Amino acid sequence: MPNNRVAVIGVGETVFKTRIDDKTYVELAQDAAKAALDDAGLTPDDIDAIVFSMAPTQFMGVNDVDKWAVDSVWASGKPFMRVHTGGATGGSALHAGFAHVASGMFRTVLVVGADRVTETRDAQHILNLIWDPFYEQDFALNTVTMTALSTQRYMHKYGTTEEQYARVVVRSRKNALNNPYAHLKGNVTVDDVMKSPRMSWPYKLFDICPRSAGAAALVLANQEVTKERCSRPAFINGIGGTTSTVFMGDRVGPFSDAELSDEAEFVSAGKEAYADAAITNPIKQIQVVELYDPFSSVQFPQLESLGFCKRGEAQNLSDEGAFDMGGLVSVNPSGGTLCSNPIGVTGLVRVADAALQVMGKAGQGQVAGVQNALATAIGGSVQFVNCTILGADYV
Amino acid sequence: MDTYILGLAMHPPSAWIVDKRLEEMVFDTAKAALDSAGIARKELDHITIAACDELDGRSISSMLLSAPAGAYLKDEIKTTDSGLIGLCLEAMRIESGRFHLGLLSSWNKSSKAPFEDVMRMRCEPFYTRDIGLNASIADGLFARAVKAAYGICESDVNAAVHASYEQASKNERGMRSAVPSLAEIKASAYVSVPLRKIQQAPVTDGGVSMVVCSGKWLSDHPDRRPLARLSGLAWRIDNYQLGEERLSKLHGFKETLSKAVAMSGVQDLSQLDLIELDSQTGFHEVAYRRAFNPPSTCQVSPSGGPFAQNPYFCTGLVHAAEAVLQVSGRAGAVQVKGAKRAAAHGCHGFAQQGNAIAIFEGV
Repeated sequence: MPNNRVAVIGVGETVFKTRIDDKTYVELAQDAAKAALDDAGLTPDDIDAIVFSMAPTQFMGVNDVDKWAVDSVWASGKPFMRVHTGGATGGSALHAGFAHVASGMFRTVLVVGADRVTETRDAQHILNLIWDPFYEQDFALNTVTMTALSTQRYMHKYGTTEEQYARVVVRSRKNALNNPYAHLKGNVTVDDVMKSPRMSWPYKLFDICPRSAGAAALVLANQEVTKERCSRPAFINGIGGTTSTVFMGDRVGPFSDAELSDEAEFVSAGKEAYADAAITNPIKQIQVVELYDPFSSVQFPQLESLGFCKRGEAQNLSDEGAFDMGGLVSVNPSGGTLCSNPIGVTGLVRVADAALQVMGKAGQGQVAGVQNALATAIGGSVQFVNCTILGADYV
Repeated sequence: MDTYILGLAMHPPSAWIVDKRLEEMVFDTAKAALDSAGIARKELDHITIAACDELDGRSISSMLLSAPAGAYLKDEIKTTDSGLIGLCLEAMRIESGRFHLGLLSSWNKSSKAPFEDVMRMRCEPFYTRDIGLNASIADGLFARAVKAAYGICESDVNAAVHASYEQASKNERGMRSAVPSLAEIKASAYVSVPLRKIQQAPVTDGGVSMVVCSGKWLSDHPDRRPLARLSGLAWRIDNYQLGEERLSKLHGFKETLSKAVAMSGVQDLSQLDLIELDSQTGFHEVAYRRAFNPPSTCQVSPSGGPFAQNPYFCTGLVHAAEAVLQVSGRAGAVQVKGAKRAAAHGCHGFAQQGNAIAIFEGV
């Protein structure tokens, strides 16, 4: 249990789209920071410290781009640090912000970040360079082909079909219709997904997230400030993270500690977070899940590793509507990463959207009676994973 | 604060470590720190990493380096500001009560990446990048600003550089570079007027790991004795723009020092036995000394500071390690007699935009 209680008391997001050409990077970060401060009813002077969320700066072309944003997010003269764990960055940044407040060293922390993935002509080239230069870069590895390989393995193990993944896309884009910030949204059909251009088997274009620009921010506060400023906060009741090996080959076979296709790192990360938040039966106690799902195949193994169902069952529950809005658990009411992926803040957006649900501020996408919401993030070669449990009541 | 350093290791520095991959450097250092603390990796409940993708030459450097840093199947977070900011994050994770025994690692194989190009690419693309600003030119601007603000003469700077090299030559954990004469320093070429080449601390390869624990962990393990207690910690970032205020006033350095000192519960600087300064140039060394006017009882950079070793990204954490060694009586030839309280300083960010100070006490 942490030494001090921590809650989300303000949330800010910008619109996510392919390009936002009327703003610079730092202006985007400022928009999200201001929105979060306004939501919390605070001014920049009320913030004690800043955590900046940003993944590889190669997308942006400015090294340590967070330092450029210092003045724009009103950080000058304050404690400031940037967190970066690849795609998991936003979740890790939230956990770092949590540590700031839980330590008792700060009363309020702004966790903020922005990304402009389309500043580079070819994000997947950058994402090839994440691998070992001697052994792996020369293969055509990028995040699409990497996860396509683990998806093939999952399909082989559990008999999953491409149509079952297509239904995830249909649900996500439909949910995103209720999210004013989502990049991709609309009423697409399974047939539309199946007919979209083949990218890397089993992926078609619609199985893959967009490259997004945008920003997000959260204001975290201790118990005293929370009581003063927020009538309906989202308490951070649980955190958990697991880092695995970069080598995918070490995560397959009978001797692997955490099976690649099952995203089994989420078992230990979830266990940590659930223990903090006193969650013993996730499907009964958690009403909303905001999963990091840049590909349509990423939801099923996560839900299984996080204890929402047994191995191989998620695909059938999905077909039956268990993960639809108002189902057994509402999965990605925001549309999730499949609909918006500003990589450096995507994990933070997951927490933001989960917090909005707990705070009753999710607008058209609000799920009724949310007591607990779970947000996840994934980075590297699906090797950095983290979970955050947000609750309406402090545990 | 209730955070303790249980063990540490520094990788021997070199201008260019050619016989090891970065992964091997990181593994060797992390393993040595665990061994020094008598801790097995399985006992750790979290890992904190401080590293810089651009200086490591990879898009997400921790993908390959988290396992050598001990993070396999552990709860791990990476910060990208500096090694000393890594200590700030690590300390908060411990102070949160959520974690109790962690391993912090930071490194910089500076020889892997074109250092000045990496620094130049820290400039935003609209105004400063086309000027060609890099670390040396930013340091030159700093030198010019503090020269005017503090009335610094070149002879003061050359004497400070000579003294730093002389002190560094005694430190067995440093590069033990040849000590340049005052004449050699004065005759070296300008890199960015008024800054001369030998007035800059050369960048090296190196790395540091520390085993960090909570007071609760210590009370649960009464047989373990820590090296030091972390008693004060402060960090801050300043404006991105290189205006006169930012360059010459040293607000960041002065404020972090006074906050860290206040946090450590001491009245004033006279109660510090030493401070390890992140003086990247002789101008920095003289300017910092004039900014805080250290009492005679407080020794400045007994390790030789960045002139002993300068793995740029983690130089501040090297200083923290040196401070811990001092207060635990393990600093060898550069030991300050009877050192009980020591401060470590580190800079980071675009043109040393950020400052951090950690204060350690003997236990």
